[in-house]
Amino acid sequence: MNDKLVSLMSDLMEDETMALVKDLIKQGTDPMSILDDARRAMEVVGKRFEKCEYFIPDLMMAGEILKGISDIVKPLITGGQAAAKKGKVLIGTVAGDIHDIGKDIVTFMLDVSGYDVLDIGIDVPVPTFVQKVKEFGPAVVGLSGFLTLAFDSMKKTVEALDEAGLRKNIKIMIGGGQMDDEIKKYVKADAYGKDAVAAVSLCKEWLGA
Amino acid sequence: MTTKPYTDPDIGKTPQQLFAERNTRVLNALQLKQPDRIPVQLFMSYMLPDMYGVTHQEVQENKDKELELLEKAGAYFQPDIIWGVLNNPYVGTTLALKDVTTKFPGHSGLSPHGSYQFVEDEYMKPEEYDDFIDDPADWAIRKYWPRVFKELEGLSMLPPLGMAAFGTYGISNISFLKIPPIAAAFEALARAADTQAAMDARTQETVGKMISLGFAPPPIAGALVEAPFDLIADLLRGMKNMMLDLRRRPEKILAGVEKVLKFELEYAIAFCKATGLNVTFIPLHRGSDGFMSLPQFEKFYWPTLKTLMLRLIDAGITPVCFYEGTWDQRLKYLAELPKGKTAGWFQSSDIFKVKEVLGDTMCIMGGMRNTLIQAGSPEDVRKFTIELCRKVGKGGGFIMTTTVGEMEGCKPELVKVWVDTTKEYGVYA
Repeated sequence: MNDKLVSLMSDLMEDETMALVKDLIKQGTDPMSILDDARRAMEVVGKRFEKCEYFIPDLMMAGEILKGISDIVKPLITGGQAAAKKGKVLIGTVAGDIHDIGKDIVTFMLDVSGYDVLDIGIDVPVPTFVQKVKEFGPAVVGLSGFLTLAFDSMKKTVEALDEAGLRKNIKIMIGGGQMDDEIKKYVKADAYGKDAVAAVSLCKEWLGA
Repeated sequence: MTTKPYTDPDIGKTPQQLFAERNTRVLNALQLKQPDRIPVQLFMSYMLPDMYGVTHQEVQENKDKELELLEKAGAYFQPDIIWGVLNNPYVGTTLALKDVTTKFPGHSGLSPHGSYQFVEDEYMKPEEYDDFIDDPADWAIRKYWPRVFKELEGLSMLPPLGMAAFGTYGISNISFLKIPPIAAAFEALARAADTQAAMDARTQETVGKMISLGFAPPPIAGALVEAPFDLIADLLRGMKNMMLDLRRRPEKILAGVEKVLKFELEYAIAFCKATGLNVTFIPLHRGSDGFMSLPQFEKFYWPTLKTLMLRLIDAGITPVCFYEGTWDQRLKYLAELPKGKTAGWFQSSDIFKVKEVLGDTMCIMGGMRNTLIQAGSPEDVRKFTIELCRKVGKGGGFIMTTTVGEMEGCKPELVKVWVDTTKEYGVYA
């Protein structure tokens, strides 16, 4: 473990972090260990966010740094080295809604936490959600939506998953600016997350850490 | 004890009487006075066509149909203020310019039952900050407009606008206006202006008709501007890039917001002077709790927003801010505003805390969660409405409305419970 890398990245020092990663690669450091340090840094970032020391812009910056590191390191990782994934999560923004920023944060937070994440994009029609869930076989489905129209879209998506016989095998979490208990009950989801870190916590609870 | 069944106090009154009462009620609330009862505002948006089996596209484009439905909904709910779909921007004008930043129902891949969306993107690249800061008008007209309005691509061929200062020695070049793409852009602008002018006239007719039926006009009608930080974030950089800019190029943000403040202020004052509407509506987005730290808020967001509001107040204009998201951690800043000179519409803030901290500073608008009048029970709606009336309505200075402006998805039967309960329990002794 490289404490300096974890520290620089969790302090969101973008230029310094990338410079260190490039140096470490030149020195022959195992790319997997660099990714592991990046994951550790994201855990620190997540904890600081929960403690309200970090905010959404900080999650964004952490995501950017993580992407920068992944772009350098992932091509160097050979097939056998890839870490085993903890479980499958499918996420998408529901029909009629094109908001994606929150969903994208959840996606990279889940990915770096070791989950196999399939992001099916925005404005996803109900039948497409059902089809993708059938194909990918996730244990958790995340429905993202920001507009008030998203509530009914989420409800229809959950109903369609139920009709397709898929509902009983998955946990469904909903997220977006207006989610609350009322909407969770209305939509018949298992949980709502008020932010990206909550989404990771829910997956940990349902799929194991 | 037997409870008297509720009777709508507005039944049997003439439209003139209703307008006089409702207008006074709203004005009193705005001025932090205690009116006869709490005014209630319905900004129906797509709930209006959904109630009557009409497509979203139709109410967006057919203003006669929208007015017909507004009259019906107004007669049914009998609120103090009722309004239909958001019409800024107007779909006709965006189509005339081939605007890439908006999607309206029935266009841009949305079904006629779809809902309006703003397409946020990185419309200003980081390397363009300096051009924007040096000369926002030149950058906006020669770079931004051609990028977001496809009918105005020819404007990218204009010479630097500063050459206008060359006066008589510059006009020998004026034939550039005849270059076909430039000429086409100006023709498109003229068509857009005609389209918008026709809609402006139509809007005035709708306002006039609703007044003649006894409804007060919305208190947000006036100039529209944003917090300078939000203009750059929403329209130019996009939320994600602006958030990264906080760390990557903070000095550019600081310079940019000062430029935006200057032209927004001049615009809002001129608009209000020209129209006689002494309100400036300021929807706020990226400065809410969670969207930046308090030190960032104090450095990047609040100073120019506060200056904007204070200068508007000096000019005799009432800023009405829509504090979107949660502002619980920022209420102490809002308490600095001059008392009785602004109004605040609150979305997800703890409205009871808002009343406690800001009750004697500004008229508070909001209270009813959209989720409750979409997915709650009549009993829960009634109970919560009574609590809002008693606690947030106490002493006046409160306009009851939804926490999210647009009421799409809300259930008519629950809205009726909400409005009736407000009129029953929102009475000041």
